[in-house]
Amino acid sequence: MSDFKLALLFFLSLIALSVNAQQADGHALEEFFKASGSPVNPKVQISWNRYHTNEGLLDIYLKMAKTYPELVRLESIGKSHEGRDLWLLTITNHSNKPHHEKPGFWIDGNIHANEIQAAEVSLYTAWYLVENYHSNDFITQLLDEKAFYILPVMNPDGRENYMNKPNTANAPRSGTMPLDDDGDGVVGEDGFDDLNGDGHITQMRRQNPFGLYREDPDDARRLIRVKQGEFGEWELLGYEGYDRDVDGRINEDRDVGYYDHNRDWGWNWQPDYVQRGAYHYPFSLPETRAVRDFVLAHPNISGALTHHNTGGMFLRGPGVEQDQEYYLRDDLRVYDALGQMGEKLVPGYNYLVSYKDLYTVYGGQRDWFHLMRGAYTFTVELFSRYLLFHEKPLRRSRGFSDDYYTFDKHLLFEDAFVPWEEYFHPQFGKIQIGGFKKNYIRVHPGFMLEQDAHRIMAFSLYHAYHTPQLEITELKSKDLGGGQFEVTAVITNTRMIPTHSSINLEYHIDPPNYVEIIGPKVLAGMIVIDEDLNIVEEQLTNPEKLEVENISGMSIATVRWIIDGKENIGVLLNSVKGGKYSKVFED
Amino acid sequence: MQSQVVYPVQYIFIALFLLQINFSTAAIRTTNQNNNEQDYQDHNQLSQRLANLSKNHPSLANLQSLTKTDGSKDIWLLTIGKGDIANKPALAVVGGVEGDHLLGSELAVQFAEKLLNDPAFESERDLLNEISFYIFPDMSPDAREQYFMPIRYERRGNARPTNLDRDGKVGEDPYDDLNGDGLITMMRIKDPTGKWMRHPDDERIMVRARPEKGEKGNYLLFTEGLDQDKDGQFNEDGEEGVFFNRNFTFNYPVFTTGTGAHAVSEKESRAIADFLFQAKNVFAVITFGPANNLTKPLTYNDKDANTKIFTGWKEHDIKINQQLSNLYKTHVGKQAPKAEPGQAGDFFQWAYFHYGRFSFSTQGWSLPETENDESDTPASQELNLIRWAEDHDVSDIFVPWQSIDHPDFPGKEVEVGGIAPFVMKNPPYTMVDSIALKHASFILEMAALRPKIDLVNIETEKLGTNLHRITAEVMNTGSFPTASQSGEVIRWVQKTVLRINLNESQNLVSGKPVEVLGAIRGHSALKRSWLIRGKGSLNIRVGSEASGFREVQISL
Repeated sequence: MSDFKLALLFFLSLIALSVNAQQADGHALEEFFKASGSPVNPKVQISWNRYHTNEGLLDIYLKMAKTYPELVRLESIGKSHEGRDLWLLTITNHSNKPHHEKPGFWIDGNIHANEIQAAEVSLYTAWYLVENYHSNDFITQLLDEKAFYILPVMNPDGRENYMNKPNTANAPRSGTMPLDDDGDGVVGEDGFDDLNGDGHITQMRRQNPFGLYREDPDDARRLIRVKQGEFGEWELLGYEGYDRDVDGRINEDRDVGYYDHNRDWGWNWQPDYVQRGAYHYPFSLPETRAVRDFVLAHPNISGALTHHNTGGMFLRGPGVEQDQEYYLRDDLRVYDALGQMGEKLVPGYNYLVSYKDLYTVYGGQRDWFHLMRGAYTFTVELFSRYLLFHEKPLRRSRGFSDDYYTFDKHLLFEDAFVPWEEYFHPQFGKIQIGGFKKNYIRVHPGFMLEQDAHRIMAFSLYHAYHTPQLEITELKSKDLGGGQFEVTAVITNTRMIPTHSSINLEYHIDPPNYVEIIGPKVLAGMIVIDEDLNIVEEQLTNPEKLEVENISGMSIATVRWIIDGKENIGVLLNSVKGGKYSKVFED
Repeated sequence: MQSQVVYPVQYIFIALFLLQINFSTAAIRTTNQNNNEQDYQDHNQLSQRLANLSKNHPSLANLQSLTKTDGSKDIWLLTIGKGDIANKPALAVVGGVEGDHLLGSELAVQFAEKLLNDPAFESERDLLNEISFYIFPDMSPDAREQYFMPIRYERRGNARPTNLDRDGKVGEDPYDDLNGDGLITMMRIKDPTGKWMRHPDDERIMVRARPEKGEKGNYLLFTEGLDQDKDGQFNEDGEEGVFFNRNFTFNYPVFTTGTGAHAVSEKESRAIADFLFQAKNVFAVITFGPANNLTKPLTYNDKDANTKIFTGWKEHDIKINQQLSNLYKTHVGKQAPKAEPGQAGDFFQWAYFHYGRFSFSTQGWSLPETENDESDTPASQELNLIRWAEDHDVSDIFVPWQSIDHPDFPGKEVEVGGIAPFVMKNPPYTMVDSIALKHASFILEMAALRPKIDLVNIETEKLGTNLHRITAEVMNTGSFPTASQSGEVIRWVQKTVLRINLNESQNLVSGKPVEVLGAIRGHSALKRSWLIRGKGSLNIRVGSEASGFREVQISL
């Protein structure tokens, strides 16, 4: 075949492809018909009903970066304790404006080792954005205007350990740095023991005529407490393991030390005796330090979500009661509007205040983002018992809810349960081992993951959309005579979030918004407080570059200059969190 | 045709001005270099002295650089000790926590020099068999170096470019040496709106006028410099970065001048914290800095000591503080500097509250209090200093007021002068040797009070065939407790561990194989017993890095 023919064939196939793409909405593709709201034939194929190892995730990042080079930048922002890369995706339209000149939105996940779906939920957002750019106007606008910084896994060592080592649903929470948790001078000498070798740490029980548990008549897999005044047939012996160091305690000094990346941040940090899990000082862990460096270098981040599990919550700060004083009315209006939208978009999730509705957290990530970086931030606690049957669970009705047993039995066909099996224990003798696997209770069952990921993404996109978006909406001049002119510029913030949160304003975390006139000789410059009544405040130094302290959500700021001559006038607007813009005066 | 560059008049003025500074600087530098023996020494000179110590005492002293600051200066750690240093008690000695406290670094270095070289400490050197010293002589080398720079001013911040006044611009309004003497002092401007006046007892000194006493201010008073960014403030954002002694986690002052982006944000603060956290053998920290809990011990406050986040010393720790304060006064005597509380975010308090060790601090020297002056104007520190200097033949502490033309105050009477930088906090160098000697002997006597673990009254009782009861007392034969009470709640303080190791034929019928013990006070003991079936040998081991380890073999 000649080169010409080859080229023609290629050209024709391109046309065919684009026709297919156009027909995707309303007509069937060869194999697919579009479901509303989802890409019909995404270029990067991902199954959203399973979890990915660090390697699996990297493979997807690389595919995304290769497929959408104009939208995706992949970088490692640091290394974990064990030397794994911390991969971050910068998702934006990279061709219209540098990402750091756009309002930024931070998303992270898997700071806690066992909260693995946080990575997939974060990744879903990245994937959805790139697969829908061009085909969806809202997504296109979003990536033209905003920059998304997405770190699906902040704690890759923990993720790897959770997946590959025997663990429970609750462990590990930290990274893999070994510590002497029981203080006996020996590090990590009495961890879990996967006695039955199934990769899950489940429960140990022993038959005992004086035990206080018996089998649940509705589901024999489950033990329930007997009534007061009765004996049952079983006793519970805790998580799988034995007393390796014969100190009278089981599993009290695990191979992986107990510490908490989410107690390691710079705002209101307190030591471990006050705030369990704190390490030596703020950012004393390599993973949080890498995030700190990135966030400090990207002050355009004006909103953020950090994904956790579990409980179905959108938590705003503060984590500590005394810090309420920094959340003023303007901040709360924003949080309330966002949080209430979240409750609507994700049924069963609640908008809550961290210290009041959950518990006190000193040195948490979210508070550092809001209080030291000026970014409106939620902690999202993914998954909740509500999602099992879309019912509010009865309050502590039967100990550890039987919903989980019913759900496992009838929807997962007992895939989430290790059946009780006999085992001869070196210290307890004849026992049985069994119970829920580590991938149940806190982590979404496969079929539920995509829906929640999408809903949570919708919440984050709503939040990201409302980061400050500035526009020079008006630029006008008035001839004052004698070659002097009065130039007035109106800046509009078309979104809910102000350029400066209350604490940002009070402590000047960011410089003010600068509105600079370029070109003419400036005789005076002023902020217009009330245009109708001509109340202005003159800026005596550097009148060319006016400093506007804050531009609130859904509001305007007006500035004015008196200039000499009126040729080639331009206005530059530079707001750390609201973006960089310019406009040339046209008469 | 050649293009011609036109300089605005004011630029030429500034250029000339800078030239003038350079000339006068050169003069001062020469003087300093000639008087090395008579004056404080810069980073290179201190480094050389430390290097000499480790070179001359290779078996006792080891010098390492923990990190380099943003100003490329080493953060030195000099370890003095021998043998298995990590497993026996150690004292940390820290100097230079404030860059304007030259004396602190000198005291730390001289402590090492005297311990290793001074014949007077010959017998104290035996102590090194049992205890080691971690000496961090200069924690603010970037700031401290300002004493030796062309423009000398009291600087606390490191070399990190910082926006000190939080206006979004970095270092845009530094000091300016207006009178070209190489020193940053004050400037006074005659102005009817001024709130300052000359001191009635000494016209060189400026005091705040008290309108309620009928006094009238007639001077504005600022530090020496130009308002380079024209924001109405003088020298509010110079070259200084983060202050070491404001960068720690206890009571950290967020969003305050010099405190950094967050606690422990700086290379030097991280370096010392990282080293100390892994050094489990440190039982106490002594800091040469602005705080002083040795001239007067801290007082106990039940509420502060027992709130969830405790901010006051625990009761028994206060008793140790009292004991150490008494000891301090026997060494330093009447010249003991003034008692001063710690400051928010400082190193001294961090060492107690977050590092969990006994923490003592002294300035080493402070301006002695003098009698009240005759007038009813408050006796200012400046006045004290001038009088003290006169009594002790100390010169060069005051720069006479000198008229200058100041571009920010055209047509006004502006004078530059006042107390020279550094002299308020640092004695003349000639006094340092005797201060250092007293402090060295204090530190060594304090070190001898270290916690020391022992096993005493070991008894083996035969209860029947192959059945024995072993009883032993774990005793702290030192004066310091095995841990401070703050250390009992701080997770990273290693507790004393008691362990009985049986052979394979033995088993423990009663008693704990491993026990993590609470702190054992000085000269006190705890009794434990074990019931053992079997025979042959076993051992009992007890201790912690900070109190030492003790092991005994027993044969059944």
